[in-house]
Order: sequence, then structure tokens, then C-alpha cells
Amino acid sequence: MSLVDSMSMAKPNLESRKKILAKLRGRELINCFQCMKCTSGCTALKLLELKPHEIEKLVNLGLVDELASSDIIWTCATCLKCVERCPQKASPYHVIIALRNLAVEREAKVPEELMKGISRILEIGLAWSFQDVVTRKMETFDRESLRLPKIDSPKESFQAAFMKALEER
Amino acid sequence: MTRIGVYVCHCGLNIAGTVDVEKVTEYAKSLPNVAIAKHYKYMCSDPGQRMIQDDIKAHKLDRVVIATCSPRMHEETFRKAVAEAGLNPYLVEIVNLREHVSWPHAHEPEKATEKAKALVRMGVARVKLLEPLRRRKVSVSKDVLIVGGGIAGIQASLDLANAGFKVFLVEKSPSIGGRMAQLDKTFPTLDCSACILTPKMVDVVKHPNVTLLTNSEVIDVKGFVGNYEVSVLKRPRYVVEDKCVGCELCTKVCPVKVPDKFNEKLGQTRAISIYSSHAVPKVAIVDPDHCLRLKLKDAKKEVCGKCLQACEARAIDFEQQPETVQLKVGAIVLAVGSEVFDALEMPEYGYGRFPNVISNIEFERISDASGPTGGKIVSPRTDKQPKNIAFVQCVGSRDKRFHEYCCRVGCMVSLKQAILAREKMGEDVNIYICYNDLRSFGKGYEEFYRRARDLDVNFVAGIPSDVRMAADGSLYFDVFERGTNKLLEMHADMVVLANGLVPSADIARINELFHASRSSDGFLLEAHPKLRPLECSTAGIFLAGACQGPKDIPDTVAQASGAAAKAVDMLSSGEIELEPLKAVVDEDLCSGCRVCESICPFLAIEMKQEGEKLRAEVIEAVCQGCGLCGAACPTHAIKIQQYGSNQVLAQVDAALAEAQVKGGSRS
Amino acid sequence: MSVREVLPRLSVELVDLREALCCGDPVRSVNDFAASYLGARVLALANLTGLKNLLVPCNRCHFVISEAKALIEKGEKAQTKIVGLLKEEGLEYNPDVKVWHVIDFLHDLVGLKSVEKAVVKSLKGLKLATHYGCQILRYTDLGRVDDAENPRKLDELINAVGAETVDYAEKLDCCGSHLTYGHVDSALSLAGQKLRAVQALGVDGLVVSCPDCGMMFDAKQKDAATTVGAKLNLPVLYYTQLLGLALDIPQDMLGLQLNHSPVEQLLSKVSA
Repeated sequence: MSLVDSMSMAKPNLESRKKILAKLRGRELINCFQCMKCTSGCTALKLLELKPHEIEKLVNLGLVDELASSDIIWTCATCLKCVERCPQKASPYHVIIALRNLAVEREAKVPEELMKGISRILEIGLAWSFQDVVTRKMETFDRESLRLPKIDSPKESFQAAFMKALEER
Repeated sequence: MTRIGVYVCHCGLNIAGTVDVEKVTEYAKSLPNVAIAKHYKYMCSDPGQRMIQDDIKAHKLDRVVIATCSPRMHEETFRKAVAEAGLNPYLVEIVNLREHVSWPHAHEPEKATEKAKALVRMGVARVKLLEPLRRRKVSVSKDVLIVGGGIAGIQASLDLANAGFKVFLVEKSPSIGGRMAQLDKTFPTLDCSACILTPKMVDVVKHPNVTLLTNSEVIDVKGFVGNYEVSVLKRPRYVVEDKCVGCELCTKVCPVKVPDKFNEKLGQTRAISIYSSHAVPKVAIVDPDHCLRLKLKDAKKEVCGKCLQACEARAIDFEQQPETVQLKVGAIVLAVGSEVFDALEMPEYGYGRFPNVISNIEFERISDASGPTGGKIVSPRTDKQPKNIAFVQCVGSRDKRFHEYCCRVGCMVSLKQAILAREKMGEDVNIYICYNDLRSFGKGYEEFYRRARDLDVNFVAGIPSDVRMAADGSLYFDVFERGTNKLLEMHADMVVLANGLVPSADIARINELFHASRSSDGFLLEAHPKLRPLECSTAGIFLAGACQGPKDIPDTVAQASGAAAKAVDMLSSGEIELEPLKAVVDEDLCSGCRVCESICPFLAIEMKQEGEKLRAEVIEAVCQGCGLCGAACPTHAIKIQQYGSNQVLAQVDAALAEAQVKGGSRS
Repeated sequence: MSVREVLPRLSVELVDLREALCCGDPVRSVNDFAASYLGARVLALANLTGLKNLLVPCNRCHFVISEAKALIEKGEKAQTKIVGLLKEEGLEYNPDVKVWHVIDFLHDLVGLKSVEKAVVKSLKGLKLATHYGCQILRYTDLGRVDDAENPRKLDELINAVGAETVDYAEKLDCCGSHLTYGHVDSALSLAGQKLRAVQALGVDGLVVSCPDCGMMFDAKQKDAATTVGAKLNLPVLYYTQLLGLALDIPQDMLGLQLNHSPVEQLLSKVSA
């Protein structure tokens, strides 16, 4: 494709576009005809200015790189309204997830909490560590006092497999 | 000694761009019994055809192989050409080098050329074994059945009736007029729909060549092209048509209120009523699901009967029975129309839950002076006059979740309704059309779009995700607008959904009854989308109007007249020729096992008793040559002309021949 | 806690998966494939028990696991890789294992009639709003727990214990929980807006079907109130807590002491 973003002088990255298309599992990015339904109903639009139709179009034209290192792709609330209502099955949500994965690959702007969650999963098998609960009456409880079952720590084989899974591009 | 002519077509670059046509021609020369092999740019053209004809005479050819595009394109052309040169038209074999070679294998020219050679080899092997066949002529009935009494059926009826053909017009509702009768005005002229329709409706009912059967449905179709036997069920009106004068006194006294179908259930009528304000025929009808008398027929005492007392013409007859009418017709025109998408399937827009969300067909009824609000633009379920009206386009259309196609009329309908609202309410109303693409493609259509903008209709380039209702019943929704790049929060007193057109609810039954195929969008399938849009692939069945695909009135009328002309074309000589590529029974081999009879999807095989033996006999006119019987017959007694085992196996042997020869004689 | 207490009373035996197992939802944004692997892993761990029904009380877990299941059963390249990774842990994927959410499990498998029969203390007089959340309703193509535009199952389950439910315009709106990862204020704003709308209905409480949504509406109600500048006093319960009340199970066994929202308002109406 021969075009250039005349503001940023960015050129289309067709390789990345291809990779994203391959990841979409049948969701039809290329069929988006900009009806605006997704953006009209987007949970994150008013507060965070996320415009799913814009992301669809930018990726469709191959202008992926700027998006991958942007903040905007991290504003999606994953409410899935855009997936449900899109008349062309273009699903901006899946495109945004693919862009987020790309951002992590390129070590671009990734929310810290997310990466911390990954380390915890490796360590204890869960994204959040066990916590005590403080009730509205200011009482404290833990899993044992609530008689909840013990959870075993993950095996080494899981840790190895999970690491391998994270390597997958 | 058979003398075969082989002609390889370039088809411009369509074939020659991939296949090496010269190599294929050279190869053909090497095949047994090939007297001459040539190639040419366009075999179907005049010089191309003449080349074949001249060669037939000059080289005494008795078989011809033409390697060109699909036989569906030009088989008929080439048959005619060789017939003119004195050769039986069924001694021609078409080898498909386009759809079967150059198009699918465009990226592998060498392999494609090898495949082309193989296909030509197969064609040559087969053409040797073809036998000359003759088309039989059958006489046809000159009467025509038209199914559906909307504008398409009405137009076709008038054209055929005026041409001197007898027409049976069958309409399932109590009046003809269809969807067009429900419209207020029509785009782009804003003609009053009833004003342009009713004269035609009256012409139809008065025409001596037209027999009108309303409140009737086709229940069975037998026979074959030119000789159809159709059974039509006339459902009882419980009113004698000849006696009713249309005074409506019965309606005035009837105590039972019934939702008014013609007014899209926005108003109420009575259990006995005339279907619509411009109904043709103007005869009352009793609704058997609601009439007290009919519902309680088995009761000891007869109930109600107020209409009987009121009717001065003594036209009401509760004993009326359904009647089955048998018709013999030569052609059938299907004009069964379409329906409007039911927005209950898209709950996010609130139709059915929010009283002020209405459909485009409901808007049409309230805009019509003869409708439930007397032509006043009010929200029909709440009677409130809207100050803000919003249209939402493409409801149920261009949507992979419902119907992928564009409904073709939705944009024009909304433009029309917006203009009507403006003209009726002046500046007292704000009108917005929320759209994806605005399609105003026809003659005068773009100008109509301009007219809407001139009248201050606002166009919002974006479709809302959902519509919500406030406590007072008014509606609000967010829509992202492409032009301003802003999220607009819109408030409306009435939202009109531009529901698309969808196949009629009866379409599956029509499909079965008439063997009329459907395309993937559910509408009836035309024989060829470009070259044969007015007929089905089933011979003798023609298509008119929205049943073949959503369309507006100009296209409907044009198609209806076209379908009528096609029917005239077919029937005017009083006879038709039948394709001879049908099943044929070798009586000596037939064991009378009846497998073919049971397997034939067209019921084209009959068993005839001949002394002690039972033998299969093919009804040539009904047989479609599908080949199922030939494949099923355990004694190979029945075969399709030109598709017998010897002919097909010859092709198979030819196909495999090269595989055994290594480095054989090839150019 | 309430799930553990309530289900056995409906003749459902619950078997815990003892291994630590993240469903993969937080991993999704980092590596979609790894997230599907984790989702498939939960199904494989369930397979070890020999049982065919996996019960998931959380919307997000249900979504990830459902997508993982669809990915594998579509037979894509990812399938072989995931199956291989599972093998490394000695786990096997079994397509017969079905994934259920508490809502469709109770509505479809256990059945409304059984729920009705089990009720000891009818909650008649209670007027409640429902919040289904996003990820058990959408997207329809994947096959979800209830209808995406007109969900009724949770409402019917609430009706089955005698309480009334109300519809409202914001019913299908998102709680915002996913945004707590990097946009806490926006998340609280979304939760606060919805809570404010629900409260204006004059209902006795809001019933949720997902712990994540529960966290936003219940645990973070005060913060949400501050963010949108509203006074919020809305009891928020997970469905089985409500059901447990109708089965006359003691509050503390249903974990109601752990709710942060003012559940006393609702509880007092129940005992009355």
C-alpha cells in the first residue's frame, strides 16, 4: 500500500498487519465499513476517548506501530459490546488485544500491574496473592478462618509450560 | 470414419492469458479422428461461428469440439451455429477451458495448459460417441398464472391480458395492491401511492382476460412447462362476492374488535370488514379467528349474527366452504413480494418495548391520510406529536447477524418520510437521519437526497449502538458522528427504524411448490443474475418484483413487464421445444424394479404395465435430466441421453490415458 | 462462600480443583495464546476429576475458558500447541468437559422449579435490580450464558425466590472493573454511574453474578460514590447470597459479613 500519515509521517507496517489479521480467529477486520456502531456504544469513549472504529481503520491501513506504543489501546474496558453489535463481525476488541500483545512483545507502554500479575502466576499460580479481608465492621478474616480449602502451589512443570506459552508469538 | 473439428477459443485473454492455446491446438491435431484443429480469439463471435460452419462444409466434419467458456454461456449459440451448417446440434461438445482451467489455475500456466490438453482429449473421446438428437415440440396452454397481487403481479397481469392471454391472478390476502397499497407517497416523485395504484387495480379487476382469485393460495403444482396443472385454494370470506356492495354496514355493527393488519396493527378493525380503504375487490371478509359466530360454530345456540341483520344485500353466508380450483396454465409468474424485517429481532433498539420506537412501515401508515391517525404525524402508540424525530438506517440489513445484503430502498424510504414529516409539520420538528452510507442511486434519487437537505433534514454520519428510553417515554441514544468526530447524545420523541426488506414468510413453500430455487440471501434465484434476471432455472416460471430481491417500484414494474414479455415470448407460438437431454429407458433391460420411479425428484417416471411386465417410462416434458435415475438403476436400463456409461467411461479412459504413456507422441 | 453453602442444598456436589489455577484472564492482554493455554488448563484440571461439568462463578473466567474451548475445538494450529503444553504437566484436554456459570447452571441444569421448591423463606416484598455483567452475555457467536440483548435468567432466578426485579436503561452497561489496571478513576466513574442509576430506581438492592462486578459495586462503592459525587447506599449481593437467604442459611455462612455495601438494609427487610 502506498500511503503515508501526513501528520506523523508513519508508513504502513504490512508485516504487523498480517500478524494481527492471522490472530483474529475469523473476526473480519478487513470488512469494517466504519458504521460507527462500536464507537457509539463504547464503554470507554466518554471517559477515555477510545474510538474502536478508528483503531479498526488504522490497523486495516497498516498504521500499526504508533498504536502499539500508544496509551489508547490500554483504555478498552473489554465489555465486548463492539463484538456483539458489529454488523460485519469486525470485533475491535480482538484487534485491541492483538495490539496489546504486540506492545508487550515490543516492550512498549504496558501497565505495571499486568506484568506483576504474570510474575505472581508463575510463583503462586494466581494473579493476586492471598489477602486478608477487612469487613465493614472492621473484622479481619483469612482463608482459613473462613474455612475455605487450601490451594496447592503450582508444580515446576506448570511453570515451565507457562513460560513456554508466554514465548508464543 | 468420424471427422472431428476442434476449436480452441482464446476468449480474449480470459483463457489465452493462462493457457497456451496454440500448444493445445497442436496437441488436438495429434488426437485420433481429429480432422482439423484451430484456435481463435472469440469463437462465439460472428467470424468465429462462421469459421466452424465453413469447416463443417469444407472438411465434411461430423463432430465438433469447442474448447471455450462454460457451456452455460454459449452452448446454445454453438448448437444453433452448427445446425445452420447442416450438422445435428447435439453432435457438439463444449470443453470448459475457462471456469475449469484458466480461472481456477491462473497462477500455474504450465499445469493449466496440461489440464486443458487433457480436457480436450476427453472431449474428443466423448464427442465420437454422441448420437444425433431431435427436439420434440409440445403444445402449450396460453393461459398464465400469476402468484401475488402486488404491483408486480398487477403489472404483469395487465401486460399479459392486454396481449390477449388469459390470466389467473392469485392473491393470498383479501385485496390486491400488496405493499404499495400501504404506502402514503412514493419516491422520488412523491406521487400518492394509492392514486397511481388504484387505477391499475381497477383495470385488473375489470379486464375480461383476468380472473382474480383473492383470499386464495396455490396449494399444488403438477405438470411441466407449457402444461402446468395448478390447484388453488379459495379460502371462504363468508361473504358472497357478487352480492356484497361494499357499504360497510356490517362493520359498523360488529362487536368484535380485531387488530388491523393493513394498518400494521396500529389501529383496530372489526371481525367483519373490508380489508383496506382502497380494497379491490371491495368486498367484506369475516375473520374466522375472531368472529364469535364462527368460533362458536359448534355451540347449541347461534351467537351474534348482527352483521346478518344489518346486511341489506344479504351477502353474508356463514356456511361458505373453502373451494379448490383447478387451473391449466402454460406459464407461471411468481410475484409474491417481500416482507419488512421485524425489529423485535434487534432488541437493542427498543422496538416492542419502547412505545415511541416505530418501524418504517408503521410510519407509512400514520403518514397516510387513510391510516389510523388520519395522516397526522404522531407517535402511533402514544398519540403524541414528536418535536424530534430520529431515523436509524440499516436495521437488519448489511448485517452479518441478520441479513448481509443492502435492502436497496431503506435510504430512499427514510428520505421520503423525512421530507413528508417536514412538509406536514413545518419547522415544528427536528429531523435526523442516522446512517452508515446514504444510497440514492436511481433516476432522480440524488436530487431527492438534495431535496431533503434543502428542507433542513439533518444527516448524522454514524449508527447508534442502542436506543434507550427515559422515564417520560422519550428516547435517547449516543451516536459517534464521522463528520464532527464527536459523540453526540441525541434525544428524540420518536425513533423510526429503517427496517430492511426480507424474503416473504411463504418463500420456503414457494420454493418447494414451484421448484423455484433460492439464492443464499433467501430470495428467489434468477436463472442468471446478468443475462436472465426474469426467469427461474425451472422452465416456464418467471420472476417479478421483490420476491427475486428487494427493489423499489420502478424496478418492480420494469421487471414485471419484462417477465410478462418473456411469458408471451414462450407461449405465443402455441408450442415449445423440449431439450432432448433427458432420461431414456431401454425396455429390454428394464426389470420393473421401480427404483428410478421412487428416486426421481420431479416425479417424471411412470410405470407402465406391458402384459406381465412392468416397465419404466419417462415423461419427457417433466424430466430435467438430472441423472439420479441413471445412477441408481441396477440394470443400466435407464440413462440420460449423451450421458450413458459408454460416453462417460470414454472420457474417464481418455483422462487417464496420458498417465500410462511416458514420453509419448506429444507436441 | 455462598456458592459452597447453597449448591449442596440443591443436590449439587461440588468438587474443588485443588491446584492453583489462574483462568488466564489477566494474561490476555499480555499474551493471548498463554491466556488460552491457562483457560484450557482449567478444563484439563477439571478433567482429572473425571467429572463433566465445570462450574465457574466468575464472568471473566467463564469467558476466557469458553474462548479457549472454542479455540481448541475449532482445530486451529493453536490446538496442537496447547495440547502439547498440557501434556508436559501430565494433563489432557477433554472436549466433553462443559463449562457452566452459576447462573445458567442453576437456571438450566438445576432448574427454576428445583430452586423454587428449595425456598424456605420467600423473599416476597423485595424489589431488586440485576447486573449480569458483560462477559457472560457477550458475544453471542461464542455461545454465552444468556441472551445478550434481553437476558432473563438471573431475573427469573430471583423471581424464583419470591423477589421482584425491575428493568432499567443501563441494565447492560459495564461495571468498569477491567479498567482498574491502569485507569482507576474511570473504572470508579463507570461503577458509580451505574450505581447511581440503580439507586434511583428505588430498589432494595443490586444482585450481581460476577465477583469482579461485585468488587466494583460492593467493595468500591464508597470510592465510586466519591468519584461521581453521589450519595450511594445500595446493598449489593452475589446471587447465591440472595438464594442462601431464601434457603434460610445463616448470614455468616453466606459471607454476608464480608460485603462492604450496606446489606443490613436489605437483611432487615428479609427478616421482617
